[in-house]
Order: sequence, then C-alpha cells, then structure tokens
Amino acid sequence: MNQVLVMAIKDLRLLFRDKLGAFFIIGFPILMGIFFGMVMGGPSSGSSRAKMKIAIVDLDQSSLSAKFVSLLESNESIEVIETELELAKEGVRKGQRLAMLVLNEGFGETAGIFWEKPPTIQIGVDPSRSAESAMLQGMILEGIGQLASQRMGDLSSMQDMLKKSRKQLANDQSISSGNRLLINSFFSSLEGMTQSIRALQTDADDSSSSPVGNGGFEFAKLKSIDVSRKIDPASQPGQMKKIKSKWDISFPQSTMWGVLACAAGFAISIARERTQGTMMRLQIAPISRSEVLIGKALACFLSVMLVISFMVGLGLLLGMRPGSYSMLALAALCIASCFVGIMMVMSNLGTTEESVNGAGWAINMVMAMFGGAMIPVMFMPQFMKSLSILSPVKWGILALEGAIWREFSLSEMMLPCGILLGVGVAGVAIGTRMLNHK
Amino acid sequence: MSNSIAEVSALKKSFGDIDAVSGLSFAIQQGETLGLLGPNGAGKTTVISLLVGLLKPDSGSVLIGNSICAEVGAPTLTATRRMLGVAPQALSIYETMSAQENLEFFGRLYGLSGKKLRDRVNWCLDFAQLQDRAKSRAETFSGGMKRRLNIAVALIHEPAILLLDEPTVGVDPQSRNHIFESIESLRERGMTILYTTHYMEEAERLCDRVAIVDHGKLLALDTVDNLIDQYGGASTVTGALAELSQTIEIPGELTGNSIRFSSDTPLQDVAALSAKGVTFQTLNIARPNLENVFLTLTGRSLRDG
Repeated sequence: MNQVLVMAIKDLRLLFRDKLGAFFIIGFPILMGIFFGMVMGGPSSGSSRAKMKIAIVDLDQSSLSAKFVSLLESNESIEVIETELELAKEGVRKGQRLAMLVLNEGFGETAGIFWEKPPTIQIGVDPSRSAESAMLQGMILEGIGQLASQRMGDLSSMQDMLKKSRKQLANDQSISSGNRLLINSFFSSLEGMTQSIRALQTDADDSSSSPVGNGGFEFAKLKSIDVSRKIDPASQPGQMKKIKSKWDISFPQSTMWGVLACAAGFAISIARERTQGTMMRLQIAPISRSEVLIGKALACFLSVMLVISFMVGLGLLLGMRPGSYSMLALAALCIASCFVGIMMVMSNLGTTEESVNGAGWAINMVMAMFGGAMIPVMFMPQFMKSLSILSPVKWGILALEGAIWREFSLSEMMLPCGILLGVGVAGVAIGTRMLNHK
Repeated sequence: MSNSIAEVSALKKSFGDIDAVSGLSFAIQQGETLGLLGPNGAGKTTVISLLVGLLKPDSGSVLIGNSICAEVGAPTLTATRRMLGVAPQALSIYETMSAQENLEFFGRLYGLSGKKLRDRVNWCLDFAQLQDRAKSRAETFSGGMKRRLNIAVALIHEPAILLLDEPTVGVDPQSRNHIFESIESLRERGMTILYTTHYMEEAERLCDRVAIVDHGKLLALDTVDNLIDQYGGASTVTGALAELSQTIEIPGELTGNSIRFSSDTPLQDVAALSAKGVTFQTLNIARPNLENVFLTLTGRSLRDG
C-alpha cells in the first residue's frame, strides 16, 4: 500500500507540475462554468433594466381604472398593454410578458379611498422572474397611491363621493348609532376640509399632487393568480423549475470538463512512463504491476475528487446551493471511479503520448458533446438525447445535478451512479488487460 | 562457479524469426565487472531484460543469488528484484522532477524511508556529482548529468548487482570520463557490475572479464588479456629505419625505409633487430585489442554493427 501511495503522490506531483495540464484540469472548467453560467442567466439574474412588459385586463372599465392604467403607463419602467384575460395569461406563460394584472369590476369605486375596503388587483407573474415581480408590485402600489392622491385632489369628485357615502351610511342599518354618529362627524370634517381647500384654491395656484405613501392604509390587495399550466415534474419545464441558481447547470457541466481533463492527463502519463523509460524501472522495482496501476488509478481518482471538490467550493462561493451534500459525495465517488476506468482504457489506445493524447481527446469530445457537457441534454434534439445514454459524461452530469438541484433520492441516484460504477469497473478490467497484453 | 552471484544457463529468446539470444550461458562472479561486448543488435539489451525479468526466456534460466529470476513460466521474485539495480540504455528518469525527487521516489519504491533514505539520496547525489543541482529539475541537466542521475537511481537501494546497459551512449567525452571514474569507484568498492557496451575501449578499461556476443551467441568469455592472447593475433610493428643495411634480413614489408611486420613477440624482435645494427627513426608497436579479437571471432569489425 505504501508503494501505491508513493506512486500516487508522484503522479499527482507530476500532473500539477505541468502548468498547461493543470490549467485544463482546474482553470478551464472554471472558465467554462462561469461563462456558461453567465450566458444561461437564470433565476438570480436581475441586472436587466429593460422595461417590464405587463398585460392589464380592465374588467372595471371605469374612469378610475383607466386613470390607474395611464398612471402605470406613465411609469418609465413599465410597458403596458391592455388585453383580454386569456391573451394576458398566454402572454405571461410564453414569457412575452412579465406579469398580468386584472382590475376587477368595482375597482374604481374604492380605489384610492382609504376609508373604503381596498380594491383587489389580481396579479399573475412569470415564475422565472420573481425578482422583477417584487419591483412591479412596488410600482403597482405606487400607482394606487398616486390614484388616491389625485382622487383627494379632485374636490368635486370628493364631495360627490362623500354625498354618496352619506347616503350609503343612512341606508345601512347594520351600523350602530354610535358609529353612525362618529362616521357622520368624520364626513362633516372632510366636507369642511374640501370647502376650505376650494377656498384656498381660488387664492393660490395649487401645484400638482405629490406621491402618497400608504401611511398605514392599505391601497390595494394584490392577489396572486397562477398563470402557469400544470407542469409534469418529470418534464423539462418541470425540471427547470427546480433550478435555484444559474450555476446549478453550468457547474456540473464544467466540472465534467475538469474530470475529462484528469482522465486524459493520466492516460498520457501511462504512455509517458513507457516513452520516457520509467515504466521499465517501475516494472523491475519490487512493486507489482497491479500496484503500479493502482497507484496510477489512485492518483487519477484523487485528482478527479479534487477537481469536483474545487468546483463545488467555487460554486458555493458563487451561490450554488447543493440539495444534498451526501448525494454530491456519492456522485463524486462514482464519477471518479468511472473516469479512472476510462483513463485506463484510454492509456492503452496508443503507444506514444501523442497517439494517446489524440485518441483520448477525440473520445472525450464525443463523450462531452453527447453527454451534455457542451449543451445540456435537456436542450438537445431527440436523436442526441437518445445517444446521450451511451456517454458516461451524461450520467456524471445527471448524478451531479441529482445532488445539486434535481432533488434525487438515493434510489434515483442509483441509476446514474450504478452506470458510472459499472463503466469504471469495466474500464479498469479492460485497461489492465490491455496494459498487461502490451 | 562457487563464487557466482548470477548465472545464465542456455538462455534463448526469439522475436518472431529473429533469435535475439541463442543459448547464452555465463556466470557473474561476486565483485567483478563483467562486460558484454558486441555490436548493436547483438542481443545485449535483451540479455539485460531477461536478467531483470522484463522478458521471459523461451528456454533456459537466469539465477540471481539463489533465486530463479527468469525461467519459462517462473515468476520474478520481489526479493530478487531488490538485488538488482538497472541503468537502462534509454534514460529512465522523471524529467520534471528534480534529481533529489527522482532518487527519493525510487528509494521509497524500494522501501527506503527516513534517515536511511536521506543518507542514500545524499550518497547517490555525491556519486553522480549532482549535489549542487539536487533541487534542479532533470530536464535542465546536460546529457551527461542525466546519464549520471540515471546510474545513481539504479544505485539508490544498494543493489547487489548493477546492470549498466550502454551507459555512455550519446555522452560527450568529458561526461563519459566522469562516468568511467564513477564506475571505477564502484569497482573499488567491490560492487558486482554487468556492463554492456559496443565500445571495446570501455570494456578494456572497466571490465575484469569480457563476454563477446554476436547475434545472441556467446563467442568468448575471459579476461581482456586472455582474450587478446587467445584471439587477438600478433602485434603489429611499424617504423622508419635510419639506415638500411643490405646484409640484415628484415621481417615483413619494407617500402622505402618504412618497415611493417607482425609478431607475437614484438619487443624481442625489435631488440634483435637493434642488436643487428638496425637503427629506427620512428617505431610503433600496436598491441592487438578486443577489436582484433572480435574480428578474429566474427570476421568483421565491431563498428560494422
């Protein structure tokens, strides 16, 4: 065992002394991960300052609802289109609109009157743009506040509304005499106030209204409505909904690039031992051939584990939050085992470093292309998806994704992990046999 | 032979139609330097590979110490491997590791550790005259330094037998001399060495006994002097005469005043001529060497390959 460790340490030392090799193992995957993470964007990306496109369904069709719509239209951050209910929903579903608002009948009767029950505005938001939806809700409340301000500033409208409210109060027998007296007194004060304001307006040129905060009053109730269709959790959109960070997809992919580079690097190292003559020294040393191979395999295994650990660590710093660390460890172990086997086969595909390198990278590129290390499998055309099952890279990515965001149970992890382990065992057996034959 | 540390018996190894080693038998005595002298393709490296167990013979056996090292179907014992140190013809060191790291790595493979390892590494660095470059990567070394490190690595575990396969190939004269001195120092320490070469000068200088091999066959094995005596033929005397007397009988060829003749007893013959009154302006006595031995045994020159 001691000799195996001596071999492994030597190989790791040689691997990381090769600066270009080390770059392809560590640096390249990081660049890939960050690049694709940035390109893919995702739930946490909210840097865009483009206008928020919203659809409004005005079922009230009152002057107040129209005023509210125009207030929203005046907001530079919002682009409004009035449409019908189903078209609005479709627009949000298809990602054409950030959100849809429904102004129900009766909106104009109570909107902006702080002593009335606040109007309910139904809002349906694209689930993938939650950060923008919070901003939109703030703007809606701001619009209602402006509506209240304008309504208070329109004295004749205010006086008509007070008359109407007095009539409603008189007809409402459920209100106690004490409360009735209190409310009437309040209405009288408001009438006095509106008359005083009107008198002042004749003497002074009033400026435009200022925005009104909610000041403890509730301007509107925002009620969420589901705009999405029922999505099969196993479907692509269903899976996509589980993604929590833009790094969730790019990091498993880029980690596999590092793993591929490790396998290629160690495959070459066996050929290099042959060409530089050190394999002969190893063969005549008091160390068995299997110990030499186990040493190589151990070094490859450790370097793959190192790459995965490093990439996960970097992902954590950037905001990736694996769903299960134990599953992640399982995935890492299985991936390392698999690619040790692949390395062993690759190392025997040529007799020189150049031939092993060429063959190794050719195989790596095909595995990466069909395995989803270039384009995620879920975005591939069907024929590529079908072929991807032949690529260990696909199962490696799936195992990592299962641990990071797909929320795989242990039994669900068995499929990718079992395949990875199977490939690993087969690879070690075939590679050892090929090496012994040579 | 009772004092032998290794014995090769009727060793045969073929690669397809080519008989690389054909019934080779010899023994290496404890503490001697045995040379395997032969042209390129004579089968010297194959013999080394058979000795260390890298190749399995088609027939015959190799005995190292008391263990069968290579035999048809016989395993190579780990304990036997520890007795052998090999400096292959091709450099076999890690170029991106320093001299010290190379020595430490191979030392650990042979089970050395701690102070013992440090002592051996220092000894090997001294031996290879690489103490001041111990931390430098081998890739920065000259060809001669790499060769010395290649030999030093073979010595890290203090092997009982050192196998040197053409250790001076591609080395400049100065480095070659360094290597010769290093090997001579090992001889003085009583190390057993098997030294393969196609340079007769090296065999003559370094080896106690020389086995002459060609086409995988052992043609002769003895000390250099005995080989020359037995197969070298006569010495060649050449010179220019100061004056020529018609009455004195001159052996060999006489062209103008230049004389050339062969003799088994050249000094006596020259002395006899002088006694007869022959005066030499110049005189050269060329003693036969292993080249002549090889020529006698094979009908061709060592350098013909």
